Amino acid sequence: MAPTRTVKSSVKGAKASSKTSTLGAKTKSWVSKKLKAPPPKQQKTKPAQGPSKRKRKVYTDKELGIPKLNMITPMGVDLPKGKKKGKVFVDDQQSMMTILAIVNASKEGQIESKMMKSRQMEEIREARRKEAEARHEQRKSKLEEIKDSMRKKRKRKPDVAVDTEPSDTSPKTLKGGNSSRKRVSFA
Amino acid sequence: MRPLTEPETQTLFTKLANYTGPSLKALIAPPPSSTSKEDSRMVFRMHQSRVYYCSLHIANLATSIARPNLLSIGTCLGKFTKTGKFRLHITALDIIAPHARYKVWVKPNGEMPFLYGGNIVKAHIGRWSEDCPEHQGVVVLKMDDTPLGFGVTARSTADTKRLEPTGITVFRQADVGEYLREEDTLFTT
Repeated sequence: MAPTRTVKSSVKGAKASSKTSTLGAKTKSWVSKKLKAPPPKQQKTKPAQGPSKRKRKVYTDKELGIPKLNMITPMGVDLPKGKKKGKVFVDDQQSMMTILAIVNASKEGQIESKMMKSRQMEEIREARRKEAEARHEQRKSKLEEIKDSMRKKRKRKPDVAVDTEPSDTSPKTLKGGNSSRKRVSFA
Repeated sequence: MRPLTEPETQTLFTKLANYTGPSLKALIAPPPSSTSKEDSRMVFRMHQSRVYYCSLHIANLATSIARPNLLSIGTCLGKFTKTGKFRLHITALDIIAPHARYKVWVKPNGEMPFLYGGNIVKAHIGRWSEDCPEHQGVVVLKMDDTPLGFGVTARSTADTKRLEPTGITVFRQADVGEYLREEDTLFTT
């Protein structure tokens, strides 16, 4: 019994489905017919909404030309337009020659300034050396003068008292140590 | 392997100009005797931070070798340090020596101390270019004009005259003894 029932039910279901399908198709057509009316209404609403959306367009800072504040652009992020990306190689002879000329000129200048400086230093040293030499010479001549004067004095003394000297000196040495010391220092 | 960029070229030339005079132009300009101009042009190429000096023809041929397989090409001039400075190698001596601005000739008794990596003292100097300033690059030669290396002057020529015989006059930068001493690291990358 049960299978027959089930068969019946299946048939019924099939029928029902077919019915529903037909109904659905009918309804579709009906709905479509019914829906055909509102589109003019929608068309009316659409143009009303459209312009309002366009007005709401959000402008970026770039478009408005607003200057960026308190921002650091990292290196390589903001590349200038129309420029080659990456390294720029120098391979042609002309550009290498120009670089070499610049380098040579700067080097030449450096060497020249170094030489000038060393020459100036040399001149200063030479001047100082000469000055020191002159001072030394002056001191020496002064000393010589004093020596000469002392020698002259010494020579005069024996002229004045040739005979008395031995007699004078002996008592002096005997008298005190101070006079004897002086004589020793100048002898 | 790639050509040098502008700042790299400038750094390299500044270093070379330390030792050479204005005749450095001859390095870039092709020799007048050459017939095929473009191929014989000498160029600088950088490969794994080392700078090589070779003819364009060889440089073009070298493009067919894979980068890890390419060990050396032409003459190695030196290498760029990670701080962007350029360090000349002894291999650059052949290129520098003919164009040297200032030279120092070492007496035979001073050759070995220099080749063992020592600085040059006044007693070992046989002859040297006049009017040489302080801290200037010089090429060191034997008395028979064979280049031995290069260095930097410690004092100017005038100052050296007053110096005692044991005083250092040239600080060594590179010498041909490095070919033996630095054999393991000189050509490795």
